Amino acid sequence: MASIDPSQDDVGIHVTPYPVIEPGHTFGSVTDKISSLTLKRRTPLGWFIGFGISFAFANILLFAIAYLVLTGIGVWGNNIPVGWAFDIINFVWWIGIGHAGTLISAILLLLRQSWRTSINRFAEAMTLFAVSCAAIFPLFHTGRPWLAIYWLFPYPNTMNIWPNFRSPLMWDVFAVSTYATVSALFWYVGLIPDFATLRDRAQSKPFKIAYGILSMGWRGSARHWARYEKLYLLLAALATPLVLSVHTIVSFDFAVGIIPGWHATIFPPYFVAGAIYAGFAMVLTLTIPLRKFYGLEDFITMRHLRNSAKVMLATGLIVAYGYMMEAFTAWYSASEYEGFMMKNRIYGGPYWWAYWLLISCNVLIPQVLWMKRARHSTVVLWIISLVVGVGMWLERFVIIVTSLHRDFLPSSWAMYRPTIIDFATLFGTIGMFVMLLFLFIRFLPVISIFEMRTILPQAEVKEEEA
Amino acid sequence: MAAHAAHVTDARSYTPPAALDRLAGTSLLVGLAGLILLVIGGALSALHVLPFDLSHAFRAYLLGYVFWTGISVGSMAIMMLHHLSGGGWGVVLRRIFEAATRVLPLMFVLFIPIALGMYFSKLYPWTMPQVVAESHAVAHKHALYLNAPLFLLRWVFYFAVWIGLTVLLNKWSLEQDTTTDPRLRRLLKDRMQNVSGPGIVLFGLTVTFAAIDWLMTLEPEWFSTIWGLLIMVGWGLTALAFAICIESYFVLNNARLGEVYQPRHLHDHGKLLLAFVMIWAYFSLSQFLIIWSGNLPEEITWYLHRLRSGWQYVALFVVLFHFALPFVILLSANLKKRAGQLILVALLVLGARIIDLFWLIAPTHIVFPGAQGATAGAARVIAYALYFIAPFGVGGVWLWYFARQLKTRPLLPLGDEGLENALEQIHGHH
Repeated sequence: MASIDPSQDDVGIHVTPYPVIEPGHTFGSVTDKISSLTLKRRTPLGWFIGFGISFAFANILLFAIAYLVLTGIGVWGNNIPVGWAFDIINFVWWIGIGHAGTLISAILLLLRQSWRTSINRFAEAMTLFAVSCAAIFPLFHTGRPWLAIYWLFPYPNTMNIWPNFRSPLMWDVFAVSTYATVSALFWYVGLIPDFATLRDRAQSKPFKIAYGILSMGWRGSARHWARYEKLYLLLAALATPLVLSVHTIVSFDFAVGIIPGWHATIFPPYFVAGAIYAGFAMVLTLTIPLRKFYGLEDFITMRHLRNSAKVMLATGLIVAYGYMMEAFTAWYSASEYEGFMMKNRIYGGPYWWAYWLLISCNVLIPQVLWMKRARHSTVVLWIISLVVGVGMWLERFVIIVTSLHRDFLPSSWAMYRPTIIDFATLFGTIGMFVMLLFLFIRFLPVISIFEMRTILPQAEVKEEEA
Repeated sequence: MAAHAAHVTDARSYTPPAALDRLAGTSLLVGLAGLILLVIGGALSALHVLPFDLSHAFRAYLLGYVFWTGISVGSMAIMMLHHLSGGGWGVVLRRIFEAATRVLPLMFVLFIPIALGMYFSKLYPWTMPQVVAESHAVAHKHALYLNAPLFLLRWVFYFAVWIGLTVLLNKWSLEQDTTTDPRLRRLLKDRMQNVSGPGIVLFGLTVTFAAIDWLMTLEPEWFSTIWGLLIMVGWGLTALAFAICIESYFVLNNARLGEVYQPRHLHDHGKLLLAFVMIWAYFSLSQFLIIWSGNLPEEITWYLHRLRSGWQYVALFVVLFHFALPFVILLSANLKKRAGQLILVALLVLGARIIDLFWLIAPTHIVFPGAQGATAGAARVIAYALYFIAPFGVGGVWLWYFARQLKTRPLLPLGDEGLENALEQIHGHH
């Protein structure tokens, strides 16, 4: 996250290899290029193919959920002792992926990191869609989601039944719904000036009307901008604690219990780091093809990819530290159960392969990122981002399944095997996520037009003269 | 180029103020007096004048030692973070951090009393054969980890890593000052950056195990996976608060340096201090909440020792003055820009760090053997007073050494290409 100031270039030795925006752009060319994706250019054939495939997968999700609701959650592979499996694994995985969006849009904004500008819109959309996917799992895990309202929310009902306020699962409901609300607000507020740009440039009447409504009467007056900037900063400050709180509470879901493998004090920071790790991996997985197919290399430069890779390397090391401390403490504690859990997880149990696959994906392979050459290769970065995405899913699988399937009572041990409906739901949410992204790319500006204009060198000159 | 060169000569006159000599002299006196008092306290116990266990004198020394070593090692970490991420906030503090790391060789030697305490007192219960015999948890790790020779070996290893990193980073930083070749300066900057990446990893590993060895094994059956992170953040916080004190001291005592350390720098440092205060609270609360909820006998015992028989008030003090008060105060943007006010918050944080360490280190069940009545009261007062004398004893010597180190170099890294940016505004040369 080196904050390389362009003004240092005049010394003659410190030329930034990759700027946040390629030189030669003007206010007009930035606006043209980004808005043309939604307004002018013909929708490419590839878009229809991609959308079609993801739409098909989203329909598999619909089928899997309908079947679940009609039959009951017995269609999942959950059993006793593994009472939670794909549902919570996928929930935590998706929620984690969303974190990069919030980090990029809120924390990097407060830290005045200008490189966030071209990827924030996209990452925020990713957050929203990921949270939508995540919400499906706990909701349908209740089996009868239409009754979930009084299981989840504490409202005064005639049955006088309240959720357990000491349970982090209860806190999770609030953490995640706050997160979804603030993320949606942040995203929408950020879009308003761009909606106005699209409204002004749209050729067809229906688009003009639609963008006109969405832009909420934005005229771009000085007063509008002054209030807008203030609101945006306030929202950023509100969103910042959410980066920590959501995954902290998700980690409490496990850590406050006394199951060996769950009950570890390092869980909160290690879950937060893991979430950012997975989130940045997803940002790279999506932006690398996006910038290629739509020719956005001028805006999403190697600088963005390189910095994302560095964030991944740093958070990946924190995650690795978490694995190490868990293993060391299991031994150091001299607790029979902790020791057994770790042995069962690493080499003694039937899921040992998942642990080593996880270590390979999350710890060993990403160390390639120490090399400058790896950070500067889009192919390598893209492959590593996929590997980390898989690794972070496996991490939740290992934590949840290997800790539960052999608990304190050997007589109740059992294997967990996901069913086809489990897989259909997982891949169905991936389909839904990708489908929503395709719609987003088609109808909304994927890069913030007005913020890109502010990082042009021309904008800086204006500021100094003023 | 011309503007840049003018700056270098300009900055060359930023030599450390004379106030540093006074600081060094006073510190040495306070330090020696503190250490003598500590030895007298230990003697009162060893000669059975007062009925408190000798380990209290060593625990007190450990508190002072961990506090000041934390400033050196924490400074190293923040300095490496700065080398990795850049930014004007770090350029103006770099020399303070560098001087703090150069005290590490002294701290290596000052570990000897702790080694003596391990051998000749009940400082670390795991050194006692009957504890090893009676406790399964201690016996389990005795052969491979928790024994005196390995403890000493690890101490040497930690310091080898810390001093190694310190030597490299200080050497290159000085070379940057003495050369005017921009290419070489750039090369040295890259070198410092390249070392800092693995350096942070090494810092994390060494501090984790140092924190386990020196502090967690005071209760050898207890364990917590977040402990290393908690101590790391504590040390980072201490180092930052200390650096803020020094910079504010300069601003308040020297008008010329007041131009170097501008309000916007103080503002950034104050924000960073707030972030550290919050992260520390976040880790502490996480550890407490998880252990409290689990309520397992092998874990909760540690908190029970620290939340009963009067210790709960110390805990409350830590919550209020290590978190709540600095948190609320540091929310004010204006306050963070004023040296006279920021230094008070930084001093409050340093004080709260000492109380926090007191809360971690002092509660022990090997307390006041067979004492009753007035002597027991006196024993308690004297024994606990030692915990507050020790930070001054160790700290005086540390500060004396630090001040002498700080004087050896200009107060700003003259060869840092970010210096011009960092000092902008006051000169307005563009």
